[in-house]
Amino acid sequence: MAEPSASIATTRRGFLDWLIGVGALGWLGSVLYPVLRYLKPLSAQGSSGPVQLTKDEMAKVEKDKFTIVRSADARIIVFEAAGTLKALSAKCTHEGCTVQYSAGESVIWCACHNGHFDLDGRVVSGPPPRPLPKYVVSRDETGAVLVSPEKA
Amino acid sequence: MSAPETQTRGQRLFGWLDQRYDLSPVVEFIEHKEVPVGGHPMVWYYLGGTTLFFFLVQIASGVLLLMYYQAGEATSYESIRYITTKVPFGWLVRSVHCWSAHLMILSLMFHMLSTMMLKAYRKPRELTWVTGFLLFAVALGFGFSGYLLPWNELAFFATSVGTDSMKAVPVVGQWLLEVLRGGPDVTINTLYRFFALHVVVLPITAIALLGVHLLFIQRQGMAPAMAHQKESRPGIRFFPDFMLRDVLLWLVCLILLSGLVFLLPYGPGIPGVEWELGKKANPLAPAYPGIKPEWYFLWIYQLLKEFPAHLFGLEGPQAAVGVVGVLMAAWALVPFLDRRAAREQPSPMFTDLGVGALLFIAYLTLKAWDIGGLAKGETGLPDPRATSWACAWIVLAIGVVVTAFRAVVQKHRWFILSGAAIVQAVLNGLLGMDYLLAGAIVVVLAAVAIAVILRRPAPAAAGGTT
Repeated sequence: MAEPSASIATTRRGFLDWLIGVGALGWLGSVLYPVLRYLKPLSAQGSSGPVQLTKDEMAKVEKDKFTIVRSADARIIVFEAAGTLKALSAKCTHEGCTVQYSAGESVIWCACHNGHFDLDGRVVSGPPPRPLPKYVVSRDETGAVLVSPEKA
Repeated sequence: MSAPETQTRGQRLFGWLDQRYDLSPVVEFIEHKEVPVGGHPMVWYYLGGTTLFFFLVQIASGVLLLMYYQAGEATSYESIRYITTKVPFGWLVRSVHCWSAHLMILSLMFHMLSTMMLKAYRKPRELTWVTGFLLFAVALGFGFSGYLLPWNELAFFATSVGTDSMKAVPVVGQWLLEVLRGGPDVTINTLYRFFALHVVVLPITAIALLGVHLLFIQRQGMAPAMAHQKESRPGIRFFPDFMLRDVLLWLVCLILLSGLVFLLPYGPGIPGVEWELGKKANPLAPAYPGIKPEWYFLWIYQLLKEFPAHLFGLEGPQAAVGVVGVLMAAWALVPFLDRRAAREQPSPMFTDLGVGALLFIAYLTLKAWDIGGLAKGETGLPDPRATSWACAWIVLAIGVVVTAFRAVVQKHRWFILSGAAIVQAVLNGLLGMDYLLAGAIVVVLAAVAIAVILRRPAPAAAGGTT
């Protein structure tokens, strides 16, 4: 008589332990889920349409041969090479530093780990694993310079 | 016990507390706490204490900085400038915080290295090593998060690069990157998050880990020398003998810190050990040459440069971060890997691992500093070939001196891993071989050599003395 009742007790205890364990996990999940969601930042707001260069930025291109502008979710380097304006992502594909245009050598250069790109964003030397994404430079009817992502 | 009327005020206070909290076991413990003596120089026992000293200085100076520092796009940089230029002795407080941070990490590294060399991590102290390693990771986190808080150019790019390597983490990399940065890029949101880490999360974590670390040490006592190197000598009493020596050394540390702060308030001016405020961070300015992280991250920075764009189907940074992760994990698990030390047997392989790690990191760090490459070429940039050449000679010289010292004075006979580090530097720097290829060659050679040694039946007096 003693053994079956003991086994029932064990089973009941086992079941309750299981229930408490599952409950604890559920509780932990219900705490962690909002925290994890809270920590993940919202994606950038604002239009992802073309970016228009301001007068200051155009002046900077005149002076330094390049400028870096911010679009909704990217940094874009706009530079003047052989009289034409070109635009590439300014975020180095290696470790995300901001690149610069070296007019003398006709390269896009990242100072952080010495990565070199050509003027179409292809990697020439150094550790960057991928080319810089291209942007299209255009002028609207008023003559303002617009930079927009290249359509694939 | 004397009658109450003849007791001093201190004794009465103790009696009052003892009656309520039964302090006698604590007194008993303190009276019997001993520090082992013999087998190796006493100096190695003080480094945990000096690290703790600098940590306490960090808390005190950090709290003072918090009285004026304001995190924010328009205030972070400005408030630090205000502290250093306007607030009476503000420069002093900031300089103490910066110097003490570097000295704390330096002291921590020597503490860890001495634990490695003396095998103090061996059974039963494995978890003391693991908590110590976690404290080291927290210390690096302190350094990394604190670097961004002035919101200057240097901080901005160092943080961009440092956080960007997060994306190399499998599966959750991108999520982790955005959570750490508070967005896809480093912005002022990143600073807010780093500020919370630096002044709340990491201090609490550090104090909790430190509590466990010290508790383990109190339960087990400090590690004595290993059986084969021990001379039978009685230990010295911790209280007051060792503690007074400790306090004396803390005083020396304080004098050293004050001297450095007064002579070089903005650091020695070496890249990675300087804290001139410089220009305010501008997310739209290009990175400038000479951007370097703090000195204890330089070897990782250099490794990132040495990796090609692609390796075995991985992107270069991913592979580099993977290698660093494996090395760090191996280091954290040393007590579990070192089976010989766990059996109180001489374990020369792990002594040599410590020396090898030091030489490996030294070569990368020297290269990251562009030592010997500063004779600028036509590009105005340090020449990497000249740098490698000079750094390899330095590592070779250090390596030869250290090896000779170990062989002649310490009677060590096991040099495979330290030798591998030296040969890699020579292959890369003097013979111009690719860094990774040189690394692969020495890893294979070392593995073969170790396999041969392990298969050979050990002679009666195998190995070195440590």
